[in-house]
Amino acid sequence: MGGSILSGIPYSWDEGLIILASVFIILLIVIILSVIKKIGIGKEFTYAILKGGGQLTLIALFLTYLFEFELWYILIWLLLGTMILVSGYTSARRATGMHNAYYVTTPAILIGSSIVLIILALSRAMPMEPQFIIPLAGMAFGNSMAICSISLDRLIREVKLNKLAIETALSLGANSSQALEEYGKISVRTSLIPTIDRLKTLGIIFIPGAMSGLLIAGTNPIVAAEYQIIVYLMIVGGGIITALIVTFLSRKRLFTDAEQLAEWIN
Amino acid sequence: MNIIKINGLEKKLDGKEILKGINLEVNKGTIIGIVGPSGSGKSTLLRCINRLIESDRGSIIFNKKNIRDIFPTELRRKIVMVHQESVMFPGSVYNNVSYGASLIADVKKSHILKCIKDAGLTEDFLDTDASKLSGGEKKRVALARALALDPSILLLDEPTSGVDPKKVQTVEKNIIDFSKNRKLTVLWVTHNIDQAMRVSSCIANLKDGVIREVCKTKDFKWEGAY
Repeated sequence: MGGSILSGIPYSWDEGLIILASVFIILLIVIILSVIKKIGIGKEFTYAILKGGGQLTLIALFLTYLFEFELWYILIWLLLGTMILVSGYTSARRATGMHNAYYVTTPAILIGSSIVLIILALSRAMPMEPQFIIPLAGMAFGNSMAICSISLDRLIREVKLNKLAIETALSLGANSSQALEEYGKISVRTSLIPTIDRLKTLGIIFIPGAMSGLLIAGTNPIVAAEYQIIVYLMIVGGGIITALIVTFLSRKRLFTDAEQLAEWIN
Repeated sequence: MNIIKINGLEKKLDGKEILKGINLEVNKGTIIGIVGPSGSGKSTLLRCINRLIESDRGSIIFNKKNIRDIFPTELRRKIVMVHQESVMFPGSVYNNVSYGASLIADVKKSHILKCIKDAGLTEDFLDTDASKLSGGEKKRVALARALALDPSILLLDEPTSGVDPKKVQTVEKNIIDFSKNRKLTVLWVTHNIDQAMRVSSCIANLKDGVIREVCKTKDFKWEGAY
């Protein structure tokens, strides 16, 4: 396969393999150094490279097939469904001690991401074609997952730290929503700090993924920046919805039906 | 006439039996002192009555109704618990005292003022940041916060712990006075026998999860050790 197959990429596919091999040499040096200096990341680093590289190769093969498949709109549900399930499962692992946290994280990520994706689709910012849907959905799910993990982790920590204050509120006739209100707000705020900080430094400290991709592909920088802002607003919007749903759904896991703190909190 | 009747109450925590069949009747308008050593199950008993935890066996009858048949938030407005450690919510003393009452309806300032005074504080405290109060003042705010709900029963878990020893008897007098004026029933948990003798009309002696003795305070004979 000779010649450039993508606009914006300055080398051909086979030239790319040589570049990839040279990059691997650098990584090999890092792994060797890690072993010599006993930093202890060599094994995990190698595993992460192989796993990440493998995953990217598989998705590339799948996308190549999908983009050419006539009934892509059927197959894409399989991919989106897998993305949601994996992100829900990954985020649930953060909820130490919470029984079936999966049922909190998966709907939170699904609803938070879907709302913004639907808005993007309706506003035509996301054309209904797989090459747009998949990366944008990936960004939405990925960011919602990160926000979901932080908000759930923080919520559980806050409840454990403030057990007495929550029980005091319950003793004064507050229901679980009222007793949890303050800690839910803290959890939502905390989960959005990285996103808001990134938003503040957009274009100064780094040029984010979507814009970088568009610039590499030769898009006008103004249009690329506009698109990046749209993507970021999607991330913030989806993130807030996700974090709010996390707080709402967690309540049933943090409290019993009799408005008592669940036993696993103790 | 009893306002609360506890029959064969049992509770295990972390696999350990804490309450092993508690039987107790409390008459309306009385102050009952519940005494016993640390770990005897005093606080667990109050938490079961307040339904902060669910008992494993037995029943608690409040005004002839099983507490499990009363919606927990409604129950906790009638049987209010004041915890051993007085946690202040963010905001002023007024915000704290009106917290529970404001969850169900608009609260009149005059009502909050009365509760603050009954608990032994003055009007000057209303706008004070609650987090900056002393331990004793926080205790009084916690008492006023409970009174603001106009409960039928107060569950007090060591209500004078953390209070300046010179002021302990003033807090005790405040509680006795407002209980009498409001015809309140009080279950007063304390490890201090002398305090129980001073404040209550009857005493229940709890040891190893069982009530060993319930009697009028004047008939209570403490044998000097638990």
